[in-house]
Amino acid sequence: MWSSEAFEQRLRQVGEERYHDKHPFNLRMHDGTLTREELQTWVRNRYYYQTRIPVKDGLILAKAHDPAFRREWVQRLLDHDGQEPGEGGLERWLDLARAVGLERAEVVGLRGVLPGVRAACDDYVEFVESNDLLASVAASLTELFAGDIMRRRLAAFEKHYPWVHTEGLRYFQNRTRQAPRDAAFGLAFVLEHARGSDDQTRCVAALERKCAILWRLLDAVQAAGRRPRFSRHAQLRIEGTADQTMVVLPERAVRLNASGREILEMCDGMRSAGAIARALGLRHPEIEQVESDVHQFLERMEQVGVLEVAP
Amino acid sequence: MRCTYCSNPLGFKDVPEALDAAAWGRVFAEAAALGCVHVGLTGGEPTLRRDLPEIVAATANAGLYSLLVTAGIPLEREGLVRLRDAGLRSVQLSLQDIDPAAAQTIAGARVLEAKLAFAAWTRELDLPLVLNVVLHRHNLARVPEFIALARKLDASRLELANTQYHGWALRNRAALLPTRAQLDEAFRVVSEARKTHLHPELVFVLPDYFADRPKPCMGGWARKTIVVTPSGVVLPCHAAAEISGLSFWRIDQHTLARCWADAPGMRAFRGNSWMPEPCRSCPERTRDFGGCRCQAFALLGDPAATDPTCAKAPRHDLVLAARAAAQAGTVAGMVLRGTPPN
Repeated sequence: MWSSEAFEQRLRQVGEERYHDKHPFNLRMHDGTLTREELQTWVRNRYYYQTRIPVKDGLILAKAHDPAFRREWVQRLLDHDGQEPGEGGLERWLDLARAVGLERAEVVGLRGVLPGVRAACDDYVEFVESNDLLASVAASLTELFAGDIMRRRLAAFEKHYPWVHTEGLRYFQNRTRQAPRDAAFGLAFVLEHARGSDDQTRCVAALERKCAILWRLLDAVQAAGRRPRFSRHAQLRIEGTADQTMVVLPERAVRLNASGREILEMCDGMRSAGAIARALGLRHPEIEQVESDVHQFLERMEQVGVLEVAP
Repeated sequence: MRCTYCSNPLGFKDVPEALDAAAWGRVFAEAAALGCVHVGLTGGEPTLRRDLPEIVAATANAGLYSLLVTAGIPLEREGLVRLRDAGLRSVQLSLQDIDPAAAQTIAGARVLEAKLAFAAWTRELDLPLVLNVVLHRHNLARVPEFIALARKLDASRLELANTQYHGWALRNRAALLPTRAQLDEAFRVVSEARKTHLHPELVFVLPDYFADRPKPCMGGWARKTIVVTPSGVVLPCHAAAEISGLSFWRIDQHTLARCWADAPGMRAFRGNSWMPEPCRSCPERTRDFGGCRCQAFALLGDPAATDPTCAKAPRHDLVLAARAAAQAGTVAGMVLRGTPPN
């Protein structure tokens, strides 16, 4: 078993090695090289993560038997959801969404949430659901590293993305205060309640898992910028009407219906996956989850080799 | 190569009356007219044929999407360039193992280095590469390494194919059959890898000895796939000629369409009127088509019997006994293909 200091050091080391401030997408955000479209994709998708946080905190509350713990932890729900409608972190995120040029309804409706982002965020809730209080609190300790990233982000937005109105940045400003406070409580709890080397190892693993989830979220956001095109290895066969299109590949043939063909026709190696999904979402407002369906279709078509990614 | 797990027919040998490239051209044109979209150039070893570029050109002329199924050894880079230039669309390369010594034990020859070079040429020439690794108890633990290798070689698909106990492989069954724990672990590794990487596509199918249901062999007898042997015999699968008592036609006697539709051997097990119970009334008969006729013939001597790998089969006990006996199998018990009986 580590000493309290060594254990804390070990937890901080996880952040130094794996926290998503080192993810290429965040590096680019802070360097100021993201396009408007990329920034929008991030904001819309990260909103889904924000919606999962109070759910996760509610699960943690339900595991706690100590009133003092609950009094402290319930503050997170209030921070996030506010005391009144229009208040709280979730609303501040929607301010950011408006400031980067997104419609509130499309963000709240989660239409543009990427399947990979959804899976990563749901994985976090599922982890908290199926683990005990100690591991769940340990997973939240990414907050130890959040204050710093919020400060860097604020500076980057002011410097590189002046078109984003400062009203949209209040979420980050608030988090620079909240994250260190929350993290201090969570860290003290974990240091006190991890009673043996098994507990300590579980806490480190939980924090690593959480870092991996945040990393995957950005992987998915970054991947939405890839530009798919029809694979050079695929052979297109149009038989009869357009809805009888077949794509022939090694050891496989894929039959496409009219929707599949419509999506495929937009894959010109110029448009990003995100832009294709969004355009089809606008073209077919009557279909629920159309963007998410398009992303799944694109991914499947890339997997089987109908599409490839343009360099 | 003399792989211990070879499931090719035992009667494979030189074919003096093999079809020439022009005859193949007619076969491909007829196949395309029947609605075929793929053609697999397989063997034996197809790259041993000197006229392979002409044959490949004929597949391209017919508009078929070609796949060269090869061991990758006899062909030099220039040979592959000629095939690509002739219109070859894709390549499937078989690998025995990633460990050179283990590969040699299985194949009876030093092959790994040559195969890796061949794989690299394939991708340099921008041909999609399918890797096929036949799995058994002595290499299942290396599935993670096969996946890593397939990524490194930029394969578009990795087929982790569990040994089919046909042909020569049946003789080595006790030495090759894996344990359930090995299969479960390999399946876990594959599932994890699928989550983290889109490519290569990973194909992993439980061996039917462990699946409790037979595979839909060939997608159903004489239903989806036409096999034409080097001498022009039209079969539903490459092993079907081993089944005694079935008659198939040759493409110099009839059109491909007739050989396919009407030869008595093709009609013998097409559809489900041939099925015995429990297949005949089984709700799954349209999914697995009663399993593999060659397997029923090899294990029971009766090609019309229910595939014994099905848990509902009257003779499923044969498969259960083979599974139990295999727990004691060792690599020392394996016999290379072509080794004369002592």
